[in-house]
Amino acid sequence: MTRYLVRRILFLILVLVFVSFLTFFIFLKLPASDPARLVAGRQTTPEILAEIRTNLGLDKPWYVQYGRFAKGLVPWPGFFLNEQVYYSYGNFIAVKEEIYRRLPVTIALTLGAAVLWLIIGLPIGIVSAIRKRSLADRAGMLFALFGVSAPVFWLGYVMLFVFWFKLGWAPSPGLDIKESLGHAILAGKFILPWVTLSLLFAAFYARMVRGTLIETMSEDYIRTARAKGLSERRVIFKHGLRAALTPVVTMFGLDVGSLLGGAIITETIFDLDGVGKYTIDAIYDQDFPVVMGVTIFAAFFIVVANLVVDVLYAVLDPRVRYT
Amino acid sequence: MIRRYLRVVALVGVLAVVAAACGEEEAPPEATPGGQIQAGGVIKMGISADVDEAFDPAKEYSQISWSIYNCCLLRTLLQYNGLDAANGGSEVQPDLATDLPELSDDGLVYTFHIKDGVFFSPPFEDVEITSADFVRAIEREACTVCHEGGYAFYYTDSSTGDSLIEGIQEFAEGKADSISGVQTPDDKTLVITLTEPTGDFPLRMAMPAMAPIPEGAAEGHDKDYGRYLVASGPYMWEGSDQLDFSVPAKQQDPVSGYDPGRSWVLVRNPSWDPDTDDLRSAYLDGVEVSINESSDVNFNKWESGEIDYVYDGVPPAELLQQYSTDPELKDQLHVNPTDGLRYLSMNIAEPPFDDVHVRKAMNYVIDKDALRRARGGELYGGIAGHIIPDTILGGVLADYDPYASEGGQGDIEAAKEEMKQSKYDTDGDGVCDAPECKGVPLIADREDPYASQNAIIADNAANIGIDFKVSEGDRYTFMYEKCLDPAAHAAFCPSVGWFKDYGDAYTFGPPILGSVGIGPEGCCNYSLVGASPAVLRKDGYKVTSVPSLDDQMAECARLPLGDERTNCWADWDRTTMEEVVPFVPWIFDNEVRLAGPRIVNYTYSSNQGTMALQHVALAGGGA
Repeated sequence: MTRYLVRRILFLILVLVFVSFLTFFIFLKLPASDPARLVAGRQTTPEILAEIRTNLGLDKPWYVQYGRFAKGLVPWPGFFLNEQVYYSYGNFIAVKEEIYRRLPVTIALTLGAAVLWLIIGLPIGIVSAIRKRSLADRAGMLFALFGVSAPVFWLGYVMLFVFWFKLGWAPSPGLDIKESLGHAILAGKFILPWVTLSLLFAAFYARMVRGTLIETMSEDYIRTARAKGLSERRVIFKHGLRAALTPVVTMFGLDVGSLLGGAIITETIFDLDGVGKYTIDAIYDQDFPVVMGVTIFAAFFIVVANLVVDVLYAVLDPRVRYT
Repeated sequence: MIRRYLRVVALVGVLAVVAAACGEEEAPPEATPGGQIQAGGVIKMGISADVDEAFDPAKEYSQISWSIYNCCLLRTLLQYNGLDAANGGSEVQPDLATDLPELSDDGLVYTFHIKDGVFFSPPFEDVEITSADFVRAIEREACTVCHEGGYAFYYTDSSTGDSLIEGIQEFAEGKADSISGVQTPDDKTLVITLTEPTGDFPLRMAMPAMAPIPEGAAEGHDKDYGRYLVASGPYMWEGSDQLDFSVPAKQQDPVSGYDPGRSWVLVRNPSWDPDTDDLRSAYLDGVEVSINESSDVNFNKWESGEIDYVYDGVPPAELLQQYSTDPELKDQLHVNPTDGLRYLSMNIAEPPFDDVHVRKAMNYVIDKDALRRARGGELYGGIAGHIIPDTILGGVLADYDPYASEGGQGDIEAAKEEMKQSKYDTDGDGVCDAPECKGVPLIADREDPYASQNAIIADNAANIGIDFKVSEGDRYTFMYEKCLDPAAHAAFCPSVGWFKDYGDAYTFGPPILGSVGIGPEGCCNYSLVGASPAVLRKDGYKVTSVPSLDDQMAECARLPLGDERTNCWADWDRTTMEEVVPFVPWIFDNEVRLAGPRIVNYTYSSNQGTMALQHVALAGGGA
């Protein structure tokens, strides 16, 4: 297992290098505005632009520029997203500082939505699998169809319009000035975002659980369990579901990992100052160090989540052993 | 909401009656309407985006950030009174200076005398503002990292490309320990020597970058001073008293009142003495601005009463319709000129616009009223007939429109008469028949209202035989890239505008019509007026020369503030519109805002181009 973990950590670094280089290459080569021009402001001159390029290191060869950013990939204090390179071209605030400040909002949004989509998606999938082609199954799959089809941005705005603006049942979006995250959660400000974000995933999970459970319940060992006289409940939950949940665990880890990099649309619609909103604002502003920093951060989370999931695999399925 | 508004009106009315009955005539504050005003309360506002440069005064170059500085955070040697133009809002007055500066006979030396007894906000509440504090601000303009994104060129660049303030470039290059042209004979005197006469220099000293900085506050904060800003105005960032400048800069915690991307919270500055400040009423106890992602969310919050005012963003059409037509709500709608011009720019080196008669014909044929309706209607501004907004020139050109038409709807016949004189109308029928008039590149912003306006422009131009090939794209990555680059040969750029930096025509001239504004690394001369033969040749133009306005602008720039300078710029405007004709100006922009019912004494600052927080009050003191 130790050798496996070491290999995976080296793989993590390789992924970060690849992702960072791709991001760097895209921003260097895309026909977007000159970063120096964005920093220079409304009125500028060639002399001012030249000075800014020097200050930001933009006059160096591309590999020197990338090298400065590459130091920020090393997951070690003082290196990872270091302030000397990773700061916003707009307001000069360190990327790391902003990510850490916004991360609690993203974590709250992600974990809350994750709990909700498990609560919604798993039971619907289980009931649909157990009662195939029944009314409950059809209703469950209709819900799944809706959840998969409804765009998140549409759902979010409809929720806001109906429940906040028209009915006044939900509080206004975004945290109030000086409002703590805990207070905002208790005030119900995350309910609509959780519901909006979780519906899509709940739909996917419902369909996935239904499919894998149906497949698992037709296995020989399930027939053996029934033949041995175990109750149907025990057969489903102790034998069938355990195997059917393996892909769910995989997906769950990846989904949570990717959302921790920022649920861009949901955070934007509900005005939650998380990592996702930070990212989209930086993309609009073509604030390259921020985009690079958030991309690396998100990639880091996804790879780590992947690793955790793989380790959990070994826990869930004793047949799985890593060397 | 209507009942709440009526209760406010009734309260104000009762207070007015009581005040009159008391027999003691307490006149309302000078030049502010509204009767009795109660101080107190915290105004709540919404905005859709944070400022760009984290409130560093040397870097911030936007209307919103300058408004917050001028009203609330920063005092400068000279400043405006925060009122509209009719009430002197366009005239600069002494703020931290005892009087307007003394000017030497050669127009090069400005001497400022500084008021006694004015102190910084906590934690510098015991530090009196002296001349050295202004030197620090000027020195930041010589520090590239400090002023990136700002407007240092107003202090560093003369017309010859050398220092404007004597010695500032040598200081910037590290060749001098101080700026030779900035002297402090004593704590209360500041003497600035320029290298050439610059009549609007007093106005440049009213800009936020010139606000005083106490010793030690900006050290180590070349990039991020805004988060450690020490105020000199009636308000300061909440938490300013917690700033600790005794520790190294990297260990200092930024001020809590500015939460980047989330909120701005201003509280009263306990050091501010109203007896030293004639320009600010400061009725409010505080200002809270929440940054919400979209204008729609802001206006929804405004309608529900959660906030009093949306600081940026145009009200939705339905709301405007309601508030502009309902007599009981009209008082909450405020329309004021922003001193901005929107115009259609023609590349005078590119056919067919290399012919002045074609450019004049375009001025006649464009239906400006239709363009305005596409933008939202009359509320959004007055039809423009020339370049410099009337409030900047004191109305000298108020009746001047050399291409006037009925209701601004265009005059096709006059356009054709003009076109007949053009070389591109070979048969003299008033319609262009030369191949140069086919497929003329029009480069525009794809967002509304520009997309709708492009169709109107194309339709109008077809009357004189000009057929546009319309290309629309993202404003920043497409439109500006093409329109600013002479090599792109963008013949027509209609989605452009310009707004003043301060109340002088100099902020209009050189940036949009000076040779310094040409090129992809300059800003923002899309029409190539003043382009040199070398530039024209390099970028493949057939014409070898184009008219230039540089000399006339330089002449006006040298004149001191006053009638002679105003008339000089008025003449420049006439020359531009009648002889060079690079634009079709179509609207002098208005700011359209809705104020919540809690806001009384709504005041518009002509200088800031926004509601003047320094004079606004809340009903009942916010109770």
